[in-house]
Amino acid sequence: MNYYEEEEYTNSKFDLVVWKKIFSYMKEFKKHIIIGLLAVISLSITDILYPLMNVYALEQIIGAGNLDKLPMFLGFYAFFILLTASMVYVFIINAGTIQRKLSYVLREKAFKRLHELPFSYYDKTPVGWIMARMTSDSRNLSEILSWGLIDLTWGLFMMIGITIVMFIVNVKLALITLSVLPLLIIVSIYFRRKILFAYRKIRKENSKITGLFNEGIMGAKTTKTLVLEQQNFNDFDRLTSNMKRHSIRAAMFAGLYFPTILFIASVATGLAIYYGGLEVVNGVISFSILYLFLAYIGQFFEPVMQLANILARFQQAQASAERLISLIEQKAEIFDTPEVIEKYGDAINFKKENWEDLVGAVKFDNVTFKYNKGEEVLTNFTLDVKAGESIALVGQTGAGKSTIVNLICRFYEPTTGTILIDGKDYKDRSIGWLHDNLGYVLQSPHLFSGSIFDNIRYGKPEATLEEVIEAAKLVEAHDFIIKSKDGYDTEVGEGGAKLSVGEKQLVSFARALIADPKILILDEATSSVDTKTEKSIQRAIEIVLKDRTSFVIAHRLSTITSSDRILVLEDGKVIESGTHSDLIALENKYFKLYTNQFKSKVIEESKNG
Amino acid sequence: MKRFHQFFKWMKGNKRYYFIAATILIFLQYFRTLTPLFVRHAIDIVTNGEDSGLPEFLVELIAADTAAKQLLLLAFAYVVFALFRVTLMFIRRMINAIFTERIAYNMRNKLYGTLQDLSYTYHSNAETGDLIQRCTTDVETYRVFVGEQLIEILRLVFLIGFTIYQMQRMDLTLTFISLAMTPVIFFVALLYFVYVKRIFKEVEEAEGKMTTTLQESMTGIRVVKAFAKEEFEINKFNKHSKDYMKKDTKLLVLMAIFWGSTDFMILVQYGLTAGFGVVMAVNGYITADEFVAFLYYIGMIVWPMRQLGRIVGDFGKTTVALDRIDEIVLKESEHKDDSTLKPRITGTVEFDNVGFQFDDDDKPLLKGISFNVHKGESIAIVGKTGSGKSTLINLMIRLLDNQTGTIKFDGVDIKDMNKKHLRKNVGIIMQEPFLYSRTVYENIRIMNRSANKEQIYKAASIASLHDDIGKFEEGYETMVGERGVTLSGGQKQRVAIARMLLDDKPVLIFDDSLSAVDTETDIQIRTALDKQWKNTTVFIITHRITTAMEADKIIVLDKGEIAEMGNHDSLVKKGGIYAQLWDIQSNVEYDFKSLDKGVE
Repeated sequence: MNYYEEEEYTNSKFDLVVWKKIFSYMKEFKKHIIIGLLAVISLSITDILYPLMNVYALEQIIGAGNLDKLPMFLGFYAFFILLTASMVYVFIINAGTIQRKLSYVLREKAFKRLHELPFSYYDKTPVGWIMARMTSDSRNLSEILSWGLIDLTWGLFMMIGITIVMFIVNVKLALITLSVLPLLIIVSIYFRRKILFAYRKIRKENSKITGLFNEGIMGAKTTKTLVLEQQNFNDFDRLTSNMKRHSIRAAMFAGLYFPTILFIASVATGLAIYYGGLEVVNGVISFSILYLFLAYIGQFFEPVMQLANILARFQQAQASAERLISLIEQKAEIFDTPEVIEKYGDAINFKKENWEDLVGAVKFDNVTFKYNKGEEVLTNFTLDVKAGESIALVGQTGAGKSTIVNLICRFYEPTTGTILIDGKDYKDRSIGWLHDNLGYVLQSPHLFSGSIFDNIRYGKPEATLEEVIEAAKLVEAHDFIIKSKDGYDTEVGEGGAKLSVGEKQLVSFARALIADPKILILDEATSSVDTKTEKSIQRAIEIVLKDRTSFVIAHRLSTITSSDRILVLEDGKVIESGTHSDLIALENKYFKLYTNQFKSKVIEESKNG
Repeated sequence: MKRFHQFFKWMKGNKRYYFIAATILIFLQYFRTLTPLFVRHAIDIVTNGEDSGLPEFLVELIAADTAAKQLLLLAFAYVVFALFRVTLMFIRRMINAIFTERIAYNMRNKLYGTLQDLSYTYHSNAETGDLIQRCTTDVETYRVFVGEQLIEILRLVFLIGFTIYQMQRMDLTLTFISLAMTPVIFFVALLYFVYVKRIFKEVEEAEGKMTTTLQESMTGIRVVKAFAKEEFEINKFNKHSKDYMKKDTKLLVLMAIFWGSTDFMILVQYGLTAGFGVVMAVNGYITADEFVAFLYYIGMIVWPMRQLGRIVGDFGKTTVALDRIDEIVLKESEHKDDSTLKPRITGTVEFDNVGFQFDDDDKPLLKGISFNVHKGESIAIVGKTGSGKSTLINLMIRLLDNQTGTIKFDGVDIKDMNKKHLRKNVGIIMQEPFLYSRTVYENIRIMNRSANKEQIYKAASIASLHDDIGKFEEGYETMVGERGVTLSGGQKQRVAIARMLLDDKPVLIFDDSLSAVDTETDIQIRTALDKQWKNTTVFIITHRITTAMEADKIIVLDKGEIAEMGNHDSLVKKGGIYAQLWDIQSNVEYDFKSLDKGVE
C-alpha cells in the first residue's frame, strides 16, 4: 500500500507542449476520435431538433386541426429515434475505445522505457511512485481525453446550436433569455474552484485516516500492551471529526452550486415567459415559439455543470500528463553508443549472431566511482580477476562491496577509469551482451508469480522440464518441490510469498544455474533459515559457483572459506587479500570479523536447537 | 428483516435528520411537477385558454386585467417560486450532508474502536489489507448508499408518482399511453446492472493481474536486468495489459448496447406520447397547452425509470459491503463484561500449575507451570524457540488466557482483574516493537503525554538512543515509518525502552528486547536500567546467557514445561540444559580455534 501525497494539480497554466505530445500518441486512433466526435455532434443536433419537431406538431398539425401531416411527423420522429439510439451506441464504443487504447499505449510506452532505464533510476525512484504513474495517471488521462473530450464537444455543440437556433427564430427574445449567461459563467468558475479545493482537502484527510487504520491494525499488539487504546481512539476521533467538518463544508459548496444554476435558469425562464408572452400577445410570434424557447432554456443549462466539471478535470489531467511524459522521456544515464547498438543490438532486440563468447576475465583498471553527487566510493581501484576465479568481498556496510558488484553488472559505470572484460572495455560491447552472460543471485530472492517451473526457467526460457529438474536437483531444491502440492507446477504466489525464504533462495539458485552464466554475482543472504536449509543452501552455492568467475558479497563468512581470493574492504580500499587460511593466519581484521561471527552463530544455534 | 436492521442500524441517532430531509425532498418533487403548469398558464394567457391546473391560490394571486400584467406577475411568481424551491433544495442537501457525514463518522470510529478491542488472537490471524479495505472502501460504499442512492430512490419514486398524478388530472388515456414503456425500461436497467456486475469483476481481476505483473517487474528489476529479460518482461506486461483491454472492451460493448437501446426505448416513449397526443389534440380530447405539459411530464418519468433500475440493480454492492463491515463490528470485544476490580499491584507474582493450548492445536504449549516471584526480583526465562516463553508472557498480560491453573499478582487472580488495569501495571517491551508513524519524539512521549523535553531526552539517553537520534537530520522531529526514516531493529527496541521509562510499572517484561542491540550497548543499557528499576519485578526473556546469569532466578523452559529453575550457580552445578548453554556460549572464544581447524 502506498500513500503518495503529491500535487494533483499543476499550478502552471495550460501547457501546450505537454498536450501536443499526448495528442501525438493518439494519432494512431484518429479514426475513432473523428467518428466519436461526429456521432456526438450529430447527437447534439438531434437533441436540438426534437423541440423543433414538437413545434411542427403544434403548428402544422394541432394548429391546422387535421392529421394530414401526421405520417410525415411520425416518419421523421422514427428516423430521429433510430439515429439517436445508433449514435449513442457509436459514440460510446468510440469514446471507450479511445480510452482503452490510449491507456494501453501510455502503459506500453512507459513500461518499455522503464526497462531501458539503468539501475540507478530505481535507486532514486520508489516503486510506489512508478505504480501511481502507470495506474492512476494513465487512467485519469485516458478518461479525460476520451469521455471528457466527447462530453465537452457534446455540451459545447448543444449550447452553441441552441444559441444559433434561438437567434434565427427570434433575435430579441434570444438576447433577453441569454442575458443571464455572464452570470452563469462567473458562478460556475467560482464554485468549481471552491469545490475543487474542498475535495482536495478531503482526499488528504482520507489518506490520513487510512494510515491510522493501517497503524491501528499493524500495531494492535503494541497498543494493547501499552494500553493506548483510549489515547489512540482520541487521536483517531480528532481526524474523523475533521473529516466530517471538511466533508460537510465541501457538501455546502456542492449543494449550493446546483441550486444556483437552477435559479439562474429559472430567471431566464421567467424572462422568456414575460417577454415571449408579450410577443405572442402582440402577434409577433406564435405560442409554439414560446414553447420552443422554454424548452431550449431547459436544454441549454443541462450541460453547464458537466462542462465546468470537465474543465476542472482537464487541469488535473495536465498534472498526470506532465508526470507521465516525464517518465516516458526520462533519459537513460547508462546506454550503449549507436555503434555498439548497430553491431550488438539494443536492450530489447539482441543481435546474438554478432556476439563474442564471454570467457570471464574481469579487470578494474584505475576505477574511480561516485554516486551522483556523493563522495567517491572507490578511488583508483584496481583489480584483476582471472576467468573462473572465485572472489569474496568482505567488509562493513558502505565499504564498497555493492558498488563493485554494481559496476561489474554495469548497473553503474565508472566515473573515471575502465572495466575490462576479457581484455576489452565493456562499454565497447552491449549491455544486453553482458547481462545475458551474467548471473545474479540476490540477498532477498525475488520470484515472479507463476509456477516453480516458470521461475526456474526464467534463467533459460527454452529449458525443458528435464533440465529444470536437473538444476533443481543440483541445488537440492528438488525434494521440497516434489513435496509441494503440485510439484513443479506449484504456484509461488505474488513475489514468491507462498514459499519460505529458504525455499525461495533455493529456487533462485536453480534459476541462476540453469542460465549457466559466465560471471556470477552472489549477494549472500543474511536472513535466518533453519539449519537444514542453510546447509542445503551452502552446498547449492558451491555447485553454482563451480567453473565460473564469481563474486560473492559475503555476510556469513562461513560460506566463503573456500573462495580463491577473499578481499576485505574498508572505505573503498582492499585492506586484506588472500585465502581464508592466509587471512586467519594474519590475525587481523578478517580474523576479528570471523571470530565475532562465530560467537553469534553459536548463540543463534543454541536458540534453534 | 435482518437485512432491514443491517441497513438502518447505522442511522441510529440521526433518523430525524433523515426524516426532515426526506420530507423536504417529497415536497420538492411535488413543486417540480408544478413548473410545467406555469408554462401552461403562460400559454393559456396568450391563447385565452382556461384552467392551467396551477393551484388556485396562485391563479388568484396573478390575476390581472391585462394579458401583459398577467404575464409579468406570472413570470415574477415563477422566479419567486424558483427561489423558494432552490432554497429548500439547498437546505435539503445540507441536512443530507450532515446526516451522511455523521453516519460515516460513526462507522469509522466504531470500526476503529472495535478493531482495537478485538483480541490478540484475532489480530494474529487478520489480514491487514483486507481489514483496511473494509474500513475504507466498504464504508464509502455505504456512505454513498445512504447519502445518494437511498435518497435518490425516494426522490425518483415520488417524482414519478407526482408526475403521474399531474398527468392523470389532464387525461387518463394519454397518461396510460405515456407509461406504456416505463416498466420495460425499469426492468431492462435492473437486469443489466445486475448482470454487468459479473463482467465488472472479470475486468477488475484482469486489471489486478496487470498491476501485479507491473509491481513484480518493478520490485524485481535487479533480477530482470541481471538476466537480461527486459524483452520477456515487456511482452508479459503487454500481454496482461492487452488482456485487460480486451475484457474491458467486452464491458464497453455491453455498455454501448445498454445505453443505446434504453435511449431508444425512452425516445419511443416520447414518440408514442407525441403521436397520440397530437391525434388527441386534433380531435379535441386535450388542449394544445395540455399537449405541451405532457411533453414536459414525460421527461420526468422516463429518464428516472432507467436511473431507478440502476440503483436497485446496485443494491447488492451495499449488502456485500455491510456484511463485510458486520464481520468486524459484530465481533466480541475482549473487554466485554470485563471485571472492574483494580487491585494495587506491587510486583509479587505467583504461577500455579498454569497450562495453555490453542483450540486448534493437539498439544499444549504450556503445562504445569508453577513458580513464585517476590517484589523487586529479576527472573530470566531461557529456552529454545518454541519452548513456550512468549506464550508465558502473553498469559501474564492476558493477551491469551490460560485454560488451567491460576496466575496471581499480589494474591489476586488476573482473570478477576480489569484487563486494562493489569496491562497498565505490567509493562512489556517486545522484540519487534511497533512504532507509530509520527516523530521519534512523539513515539517516546506516547506513554506519557505530559512528559516534558528533559524527561524525554533523559529517557532516550538511558536507552542509549539520544546520540543515534542526534545523527538524524531532523533529530527528534524525524518522522518514523512509511513516510519517514526506517529505524533499524536495534533503534526500534531502544525507542520501546525509552518510552517505557516514562511510566512507572511495578512489573516489567523484556521479551528478548535487546536482541538487535550489540553486546556492548546491551550491557550499557542494562546497567543504566538496573538503577532505574530497582524496585520493579523484571522478567527477561533472552538467548544471551550473559544476560540471564545476572538474574535472581532463572527458569529454563523446554517443550512447554519448566525443565530447570534456580540461580546461575546452582544451575551450572546441576549440569542440565542451562549448564550446556553456558558451556557453549562462554567458551566460544576458546572453542573457535579448534573448531576452525575442522572447517579447513
